[in-house]
Amino acid sequence: MSEPFEPKIVAFVCTYCTYAGADLAGTSRLKYPPNVRIVRLPCTGRISPMFILKAFQKGADGVLVSGCHPGDCHFDHGNYHARRRWTAFNALLQFTGVPEERVKFSWISAAEGIKFAELIDSITEEIRTAGPFEQYHKLIAETGSAASV
Amino acid sequence: MSIQEQYRSRAKELLGEGSVKMVIGYGVGTTATRRRPIFITSPDETDRLVLDASCRTNLAGYLLREGLLADQKSIAVFLLPDGVRALNILAAESQLATAQIVVLGFEIKGEEVKPLEGTAAGDFSAIIAERKEQRKAQPSHEMAVKLEEMTPAERFAFWEKEFSRCIKCYACRAACPMCWCRRCVVDNNQPQWVNTSSHTLGNLEWNLVRAFHLAGRCVECGNCSEACPVNIPLHLLNGRMTDEVLTAFDHYPGADEQQEPVLASFRKDDPETFIL
Repeated sequence: MSEPFEPKIVAFVCTYCTYAGADLAGTSRLKYPPNVRIVRLPCTGRISPMFILKAFQKGADGVLVSGCHPGDCHFDHGNYHARRRWTAFNALLQFTGVPEERVKFSWISAAEGIKFAELIDSITEEIRTAGPFEQYHKLIAETGSAASV
Repeated sequence: MSIQEQYRSRAKELLGEGSVKMVIGYGVGTTATRRRPIFITSPDETDRLVLDASCRTNLAGYLLREGLLADQKSIAVFLLPDGVRALNILAAESQLATAQIVVLGFEIKGEEVKPLEGTAAGDFSAIIAERKEQRKAQPSHEMAVKLEEMTPAERFAFWEKEFSRCIKCYACRAACPMCWCRRCVVDNNQPQWVNTSSHTLGNLEWNLVRAFHLAGRCVECGNCSEACPVNIPLHLLNGRMTDEVLTAFDHYPGADEQQEPVLASFRKDDPETFIL
């Protein structure tokens, strides 16, 4: 009997808002799927698109990138820069056929523990339905290395 | 006097009076329609210059050869309007000072080569502004339209097939006037962001990274597609990025040398349709 598919999701989050929001979800005893691996970074401005590609290269089925709402950045404008980058990179991913459900972007503040838990819930469900990122896994297999997140 | 003669004598004059130390232009290539860049330092050599409808390579990148501009002397260079835009971007990115560059501007309409008025990069702002409007109105490439109509899976398959041919020769990078990083991200091995073996995975990553790094910087001169030995349609990727920065941020790369790089600036009211 095959086990149900459990997607691997990597979340790149800024430490001041989304990580604190995730923390709040935890301290509030909110339950969300354990499929997400959180990578904490100083600011969304630090999140290079290379990180997203790296996560896929290592076999992730989905990636979430999240930070402070516009206007709330701890460093004043890191997220505005990030937003422009995401706009261009998201367009590029769509154009090259990376399915929309594989990469998600969001703003989650330190007070939004509930939003964090619900978002992880919904994207995990969406990717579970879509199944493993086979197209990419096939490319990884060609290189001779196994997917390992 | 033909335009070629006109520009030869202009180059001779510039070199003769010593106002420039070098003229970068086009010379004959290995076939009738191929042109190769030539670097002329003496007024006696200006007869080697060729100017016709085959002169389409963007020569702006040669200005960044290590040490070339270090002595503060001027250099004259043959440039199409796209080349002038490349010059503006390089100046905006502090890679050169436009005061050091004498532009020998021309444009190609059909098979006809026409001279452009002006000698400094700033003299071409009117034609660049005109190009911006043309670019906005320009219909998408036929293949780009087809791609947009495909499902994501079909698009992925299309690019997988295209990138599978890539041999990572980096000719696209070498030919691009915008690829001036001393150390490219793909040459980093700690961390190794991009798989360097010639598998489709690394090829995909490399081409995505290059397209992204050219977002808002590519002047669509076509050097990369021309240089690619396996004919990957790189112009489609770059064109898509240009469409995006133009519609989302009203950014036309290389409009003038004061223009802020699009990914190093922002507006508080930038559009965000996809962020949850």
